[in-house]
Amino acid sequence: MTTKKLDGKVPEGPIQEKWDKHKFNMKLVNPANKRKFNVIVVGTGLAGASAAASLAELGYNVQSFCIQDSPRRAHSIAAQGGVNAAKNYPNDGDSVWRLFYDTVKGGDYRAREANVYRLAQVANNIIDQCVAQGVPFARDYGGFLANRSFGGAQVSRTFYARGQTGQQLLLGAYSAMMKEVSKGKIKLYTRREMLDLVMVNGKARGIITRNVVTGEIERYAADAVLLCTGGYGNVYFLSTNAMASNCSAAWRAHKRGAYFANPCYTQIHPTCIPVHGDHQSKLTLMSESLRNDGRVWVPKNQDDKRAPNDIPEEDRDYYLERKYPSFGNLVPRDVASRNAKQAVDEGKGVGSTGVAVYLDFRDAIKRDGKDVVAAKYGNLFDMYERITDDDPYQVPMRIYPAVHYTMGGLWVDYNLQSNIPGLFVLGEANFSDHGANRLGASALMQGLADGYFVAPYTLGNYFASEKPEQEKVTTDAPEFEAAHKESRDKLERLLSINGSRTTDDFHRDLGKIMWEYVGMARNEEGLKKAISEIKNLKEQFWKDVKVTGTNTNINTELEKANRVADFLELGELMARDALERRESCGGHFREESQTEENEAKRDDENFAHVAAWEWQGEDTEPLRHVEELSFENVALTQRSYK
Amino acid sequence: MRSFKQIMTSSIVKKQVMGVTGLLLCGFLLSHLAGNCLIYVGSDAFNTYAHTLITNPFIYVAEAILALIFLSHIGLALRLTIENNKARPVNYYMKTPTGRGSTFASSTMPYTGFIILVFLVLHLINFKFGPVYNTQVNGVEMRDLYKTVVEYFQSPLNILWYVFAMLALGIHVSHGFWSAFQSIGFNHPKYNCCLKMASKGFALLVTVGYSALPIFCYFQGAK
Amino acid sequence: MGNNTQSMNIHLKVWRQKDRLDKGNMEDHKMDNVSPDMSFLEMLDVLNEKLVREGKDPIAFDHDCREGICGMCSLMINGQAHGPESETTTCQLHMRKFKNGDTIVVEPWRARAFPVEKDLMVDRSAFDEIIAAGGFVNVNTGNPQDANCLPISKENADLAMDAAACIGCGACVASCKNASAMLFVSAKVSQLALLPQGQVEAEERVQSMVNKMDELGFGNCTNEAECEASCPKGINISNIARMNRDFLKASIVSKS
Ligand SMILES: Cc1cc2nc3c(=O)[nH]c(=O)nc-3n(C[C@H](O)[C@H](O)[C@H](O)COP(=O)(O)OP(=O)(O)OC[C@H]3O[C@@H](n4cnc5c(N)ncnc54)[C@H](O)[C@@H]3O)c2cc1C
Ligand code: HEM
Ligand code: HEM
Ligand code: SF4
Ligand code: F3S
Ligand code: FES
Repeated sequence: MTTKKLDGKVPEGPIQEKWDKHKFNMKLVNPANKRKFNVIVVGTGLAGASAAASLAELGYNVQSFCIQDSPRRAHSIAAQGGVNAAKNYPNDGDSVWRLFYDTVKGGDYRAREANVYRLAQVANNIIDQCVAQGVPFARDYGGFLANRSFGGAQVSRTFYARGQTGQQLLLGAYSAMMKEVSKGKIKLYTRREMLDLVMVNGKARGIITRNVVTGEIERYAADAVLLCTGGYGNVYFLSTNAMASNCSAAWRAHKRGAYFANPCYTQIHPTCIPVHGDHQSKLTLMSESLRNDGRVWVPKNQDDKRAPNDIPEEDRDYYLERKYPSFGNLVPRDVASRNAKQAVDEGKGVGSTGVAVYLDFRDAIKRDGKDVVAAKYGNLFDMYERITDDDPYQVPMRIYPAVHYTMGGLWVDYNLQSNIPGLFVLGEANFSDHGANRLGASALMQGLADGYFVAPYTLGNYFASEKPEQEKVTTDAPEFEAAHKESRDKLERLLSINGSRTTDDFHRDLGKIMWEYVGMARNEEGLKKAISEIKNLKEQFWKDVKVTGTNTNINTELEKANRVADFLELGELMARDALERRESCGGHFREESQTEENEAKRDDENFAHVAAWEWQGEDTEPLRHVEELSFENVALTQRSYK
Repeated sequence: MRSFKQIMTSSIVKKQVMGVTGLLLCGFLLSHLAGNCLIYVGSDAFNTYAHTLITNPFIYVAEAILALIFLSHIGLALRLTIENNKARPVNYYMKTPTGRGSTFASSTMPYTGFIILVFLVLHLINFKFGPVYNTQVNGVEMRDLYKTVVEYFQSPLNILWYVFAMLALGIHVSHGFWSAFQSIGFNHPKYNCCLKMASKGFALLVTVGYSALPIFCYFQGAK
Repeated sequence: MGNNTQSMNIHLKVWRQKDRLDKGNMEDHKMDNVSPDMSFLEMLDVLNEKLVREGKDPIAFDHDCREGICGMCSLMINGQAHGPESETTTCQLHMRKFKNGDTIVVEPWRARAFPVEKDLMVDRSAFDEIIAAGGFVNVNTGNPQDANCLPISKENADLAMDAAACIGCGACVASCKNASAMLFVSAKVSQLALLPQGQVEAEERVQSMVNKMDELGFGNCTNEAECEASCPKGINISNIARMNRDFLKASIVSKS
């Protein structure tokens, strides 16, 4: 096997016209024929719910799967900040082009231009669609939609519903989906975990799932499979992701042949509540907006053990303001995160663990008064106090970066189809639109764009041109039989090991390796070490993990072990990808590739491409294919926030 | 099309019928109290009032309507209570009120209602179908209900029972009055606190008003 | 890293039930060294790891986001839905709210419409069925009018958002003495009743959703307001009144 140059199947023509022309050129399925097609949609987050609803409305028969007890609980629900669109309601000079430009630049020039342009184009429809569904976006006194500026954008283009935008958008998509459930066009399968992808004659034709309640392993066949299973941030054990967020669905598809693109691109969010003990199970994000008024600092001296309020001004180091005079505390996420790490590495970290920095509102309170600060951030302050028992009005918050989002994912072409015909990947699970770094309020936009406005067209084109329905496939096919057996054997193997360490023990160890070597700053030596340590850990896992219970009813330990087994493999691939990408870009910072001022340095000559990995078997190294990225509309520049 | 039956058996309409009948009963309580207050004026006034009522040909219609109201209120109360018990077949090992929501009154509606029911039955037996005495007022022959009532309240035990029952009634309506408005859908931030006050005020009026009568009657008999 | 760093000893009484058919019973667990900074669920995680190490079946409970928004976590803690703190989900409840030596009783939500699946996990799919009965605006994906063509007064938008904040956790049902789902249903009905988009189907919606709720075996509301007090998102019972009103109106006037 040799490495390939991948074709993103980007349509010809000027970027503004690509999508419209492509929509026209794509083949259509006759309305009366649509009901002959069955589609499996795995995941009910923004991407999955919006796709399932839209496809069912068109007339396809949809089977929808999720792990939680209700589709409404998918992890998209947790997004706080907002969703972007270039409506230009505030008249501040926004446009589709500017949104496109900002997103490509924000992604540090590692995204496919055409995809990003399409995203910016359909973003406005998303807002219209959501409002029509009854999503209660914030409004001003005239009754019109309110916007705010978010994530360092220079225009106000973010629509929001209090601090619960993800929830409201998801509930909108969920309700659209339940509307189709009531009509019988969607069949819901909740508390199901996808264990494998089934391919027949080289096409994706079904999935194997485990019914989490009964333990039963089930088979479902269809004419196409849509994976909308979210991101893999939980490979780090601690992240802002929900507990059930996992990589398994994508990973099993990868092992069936789907390429995994840019796995090393992870976003580390600078303002999270720090870890406070070994029992910590997840990390909580504090909205980025806090940096608008809070000042980040650490003590100037390493072993300054005074209480924060006793440290006088001259002994404080407001390092972001010092290093980046023009952006100050508002530098992008990756820059803010890396600098916090640096401060902690220098021994200036604060709090009882020494792994945190201060985010101080003293000056804002002095300047604007407590009431003004409370009006802006009251909710967040309350949340902070509930978790830490500290009052941020009195003492500075302690914050530290945490893993938040994964830009990498299964490789897809312009049609959101993976290299496996009939396997489409939507939302955070694919790699497509954010390059090496995602801007705030863009993930919600992408999930809904994929589900409402892209996949419904491109899937129709697949059906009309490939005609998968003409090969009848039932769940009795030998491919289903084999995949079923493999899944069952794997679970039984996990149950039979009966070792001495729990799944969480292994997951925590993996998290430590990942955070240490494949975290905010990476280098060749560390990455090589990570690869070998993860290999070791994986070996031990399969010898020494202890999973109690049986496979015939609810067994949360078995579910976890099954996911961690996949995280162990993905973790290794992430390290490998990071090792091969010998440049710094976006969320991926290679210490070997930095400017004199310790800022990230891209290498456009050698790395302006997507790396898409192909699985080669348990003991063989994976293959790294590339898709070259060409930038015809945006000039490549080095980011600078000085 | 939803049939009438479907509508009437829906949880909300059942509750609304309870609310409306409850409010009508509150109306009855007020007028009954007003009528009974004639006891303070004297036997003749009270007896004449009762006589006028009883001899009015419409009394049967009125009584039938009143009975219907009581019966539907009680019937629905029974039905709701049974259904509600079924809605939680396995009880909690431990259940603690939050202290921020339900009140003593709200959580004891079926019990206070039951006390009122028992009261009502005994009440009718003792008064309406109680000992009949006759008297003449201004030459008109009529039932001396005044005597029946005063005689009944010569027993401190009876007074105690009445006061107790009126306490239950007060508790019942202290939640019920507000609750009926909530059930019908009358809830507005501007008027909510007035309604809750009115509910408590009404309860106080009913309890004090109805409890004072037996005590007054006791002293009337001692004369 | 709170101010209280003293570790605690806790006596847990937890409901164990193998599956839907099992009768179930309370089980006792002693826990030492509970950090006051743990969340309630992290405390259960620690207990579960211990159980696994001992080769025992861990306690099954629902959870996902652990930041109070997905509505997956549940638990009756000392007889209160989501525990003693107001407007706080179980996943956001911290052990510092308890005292050293406390006995804590942990039970699943109990209602006929929420059968126990295992231990502390219940089946809340009844809520999905209610939403499927009408908790949506019948609009297909496509090209609706521009979002700003539909001005909505800030007051109504805010009220709708208050109602829309419901996370579908079921604490209202669990805490209501009648196991009534009125708060949950009224939150959705109100959200859509307050917005112009929801008007067209308003009458049909309230009737179908209430009928579905009744059919699924929830109790009748007797205006207890425990639901509001237990609701982690502070959903107000004025929503119930609004639904009562709309339902009455729909029953009287609607043609369908
Ligand atoms: C705390 C937080 C805040 C955020 N804030 C913002 C923000 O303000 N703006 C923004 O744009 N983005 C934000 N994001 C990012 C954004 O929320 C996510 O990227 C996005 O919602 C992902 O949506 P999705 O549909 O791809 O996947 P998800 O919503 O993660 O859904 C995944 C679905 O797949 C199912 N699933 C997964 N694996 C399996 C399996 N094996 N079998 C069956 N089903 C499976 C799950 O049950 C679930 O239904 C935030 C993220 C976090 C963590
Ligand atoms: C004069 C007598 C009575 C009055 C004025 C009265 C009034 C009311 C009112 C106003 C309500 C509230 C209805 C609502 O919320 O919609 C109510 C509820 C109730 N009543 Fe009565 N009632 C009386 C007698 C009874 C009797 C005799 C019983 C039972 C045997 C009873 C049982 C109940 C019960 C169980 C409720 C609670 C159900 C609920 O809150 O809806 N009541 N009552
Ligand atoms: C101290 C308090 C009360 C006194 C002195 C009192 C007195 C009477 C009397 C004298 C009658 C007989 C009337 C007749 O036969 O024509 C009567 C009837 C009745 N009372 Fe009371 N009453 C009292 C409280 C109540 C209360 C609290 C209720 C309601 C819960 C109630 C409900 C009734 C009813 C339903 C009748 C029958 C009315 C009819 O048949 O027309 N009473 N009462
Ligand atoms: S109304 Fe409140 S308690 Fe009920 S489901 Fe919604 S959020 Fe939970
Ligand atoms: S507690 Fe129950 S009785 Fe009604 S007001 Fe709430 S649903
Ligand atoms: S776990 Fe999501 S709300 Fe508690």
